[in-house]
Amino acid sequence: MRGHNMTVCARMRRDLGLALLLLLSAAVESDGMSPPGKPVFLGCRSPEKETFTCWWEPGSGGGLPTTHRLYYEREKLEGTHECPDYHSAGKNSCFFDKDHTSIWVDYYLTVVASNALGNATSGHFKMDVMEIVKPNAPENVTLQVMKREDNPYLHVRWEHPHNTDTKSGWVTIKYELRVKHRNNNEWKEYTSGTQTQFNLYNINPGEMYVVQVRCRLDHGSWSEWSNSTSVKTFNYPQNDKPFWILVSALSTVPFLTAMCILVIKRKYVKKVLLPPVPGPKIRGIDVQLLKRGRSEDVSNALIINQGFPSVPAWKDEIEDYLIVSDDVLLPDPHRKKKSLTVAAGFHLNLEIQCKESLGQRDWEKAEERKNGIDTFPPQLPTQKQLCPNVTFVHAEATDQRWPIHDAAAESTVQLLAPTGYVDIQRHKSMQEEADGNEMDYTRVNDGNILILQKDKFPGCMDVQRQEENIPEDYSRVKEVDGDNKVLLQRQSFSADSSCGEKGTPYTDCTNKKPINPHVPGPSKVELIGSGYVDTIY
Amino acid sequence: MEPWNEIARKTLKEGDGSQKIQRRQTLGGGVVRGGIVQRCPHQRPARPSLAALGQNALPQHHTRPGTGRVMTPRPSMCHTSSLQTPSDKAQALQISGSDLLSLARSLLQAWVDPLVVLSDSAYTLPHPAHNSISNKIQELQEHSKILGDGLDVLSSKMGPEAQTLSLLPYTGNDIGQDRISKLINFHFLMSCFRRDSHKIDSFLKVLRCRAAKMQPEMC
Repeated sequence: MRGHNMTVCARMRRDLGLALLLLLSAAVESDGMSPPGKPVFLGCRSPEKETFTCWWEPGSGGGLPTTHRLYYEREKLEGTHECPDYHSAGKNSCFFDKDHTSIWVDYYLTVVASNALGNATSGHFKMDVMEIVKPNAPENVTLQVMKREDNPYLHVRWEHPHNTDTKSGWVTIKYELRVKHRNNNEWKEYTSGTQTQFNLYNINPGEMYVVQVRCRLDHGSWSEWSNSTSVKTFNYPQNDKPFWILVSALSTVPFLTAMCILVIKRKYVKKVLLPPVPGPKIRGIDVQLLKRGRSEDVSNALIINQGFPSVPAWKDEIEDYLIVSDDVLLPDPHRKKKSLTVAAGFHLNLEIQCKESLGQRDWEKAEERKNGIDTFPPQLPTQKQLCPNVTFVHAEATDQRWPIHDAAAESTVQLLAPTGYVDIQRHKSMQEEADGNEMDYTRVNDGNILILQKDKFPGCMDVQRQEENIPEDYSRVKEVDGDNKVLLQRQSFSADSSCGEKGTPYTDCTNKKPINPHVPGPSKVELIGSGYVDTIY
Repeated sequence: MEPWNEIARKTLKEGDGSQKIQRRQTLGGGVVRGGIVQRCPHQRPARPSLAALGQNALPQHHTRPGTGRVMTPRPSMCHTSSLQTPSDKAQALQISGSDLLSLARSLLQAWVDPLVVLSDSAYTLPHPAHNSISNKIQELQEHSKILGDGLDVLSSKMGPEAQTLSLLPYTGNDIGQDRISKLINFHFLMSCFRRDSHKIDSFLKVLRCRAAKMQPEMC
């Protein structure tokens, strides 16, 4: 019996132990206690072609503290080496500094994970530094809206990643940037080459722009995009525009209206703005006639000129001739004579033509003395004719003799020569005849004689000689009457008291006898110059 | 796993490859001053195409060298590996301009023959994209020629030191018989070429930056 009980107890103890053992082993397994899982290489990267870092991923932990080790072999380098720096680049990484970095040689890397229970090795990872170059993103990206007249643009600036060497040519950095609107999702990319700045011209006002930049070394991998930098562009100054548009539109309408009116009324406007200027026109002169150019006609046209305005005599300068003659052989005023018209300002020798016969002779003689007659040879007296003595009017004008033409009805005359003077001649022989005929020194209005003044006076006047110290040839002026009359003092002379009044024309009596100083009447003589009137032989 | 497909696809990545190939331009003349060429450097191309061509093309190898299923030739077996070149920045910056130029020219010269081999075998490469690959190889040959001529002109102005060339003959005349060998050898040659082109690119850029002292934009 006792033996049977013992067997049952042992069996129970044995079962219990087994159960415990099972339980224990089960417990152990549920904690993950195992050799480490196989680590996996994540990759390596060289930011500047001078150093590089490799990362791995540990495998399943195994529940126990696991250490990882990186071993590498390298071309042209003997032996296996361990990672020089596990910490600089963070967890599960290996950092190779400059001394441990070689380029254009292959590295063979392995990571070994080990824990209490065992090891695990990753596969070999072959790499060459030239293949794993990837720089950091560019730094300090700045955006500015530049205002340039009406075309604003965006100016983007950045710096190279701080750990890259841009001075030796070991690496050459190239940049790219991309832009988008704030609300948009479409990026537009631009290449910047090696420049660290860029201008964006196609921007719209009043929008928010976002810019990013990235770079790469030589022909390696592109870096990550930099952080977004954004800026808002200005709005157009729109307030002014509509106002000015309105102003210009409103002002256009009246302007156009004014232009229309001007165009329609252009003739009137022209008259107002540019009043017609009267051309020079001389009354009585026909321009066409002048153009035709027949000299006779021309001269006639120029001479026959009606209505010369009366010109006040330039007293100081003008010496008018007075026709003096004690020769009564003056043509009858009523006789028709040819009259001469003298235009003012013309230099001429006017000759009086009396009768034709006489005239001819006179003319002849006159012709001999064309230029400024001073003396007159006493030839005429012999003629004893009615012709008055030749009187010459010497004016300043040309020598040209003016043709005389019939002008029966024409009144003519005015002799307005500035220095017209009339010879006074003495004709002794005509003295006797002086009684009879009196020269009528009237205006040529009567058609006879050329006379200086404009008034008419019927008679003549005798010259009065004074007893004083007056040269024989001079007569003293007694007084001046008006504009054109000079009163001369008469000389007493024998017979002629029949000389009429007025007398600018005074006759120089050839009578040498003293003459009574009385004057039959006021005789008017033009006062000219110094009060003396020349008498000229 | 078909790494070769991957290689080809990445090799023919147009965005990188073609643009960069075109950057291999002729060098213009330069003025030699103190052994450093002035004025030319900005015309020097980077050696983009070759370096970038293979950059993404070669996947990471996870096989232990020598232990994988396939016997992957190690890069130390490149025919140009005997040429002593700087292996980091510090060393590279210590080399004189003439030496840098000499190195570049030597490397370039060393690839004339291998490129012919590659060009010949690309056409028959057992790969679906062998035509594109063949085109690319031809481009590479052309650009290499142009660059080589330019460097020759440059070196003639830099003095005798720049004229020295290291001969690096290529002895292989065949990339293999079977498909796998062909692909492997092709790939290997391309990777060697990529590395050497990267070296040439770096050397010339250092030279350019050094020569254009007054123009920081050249660096």
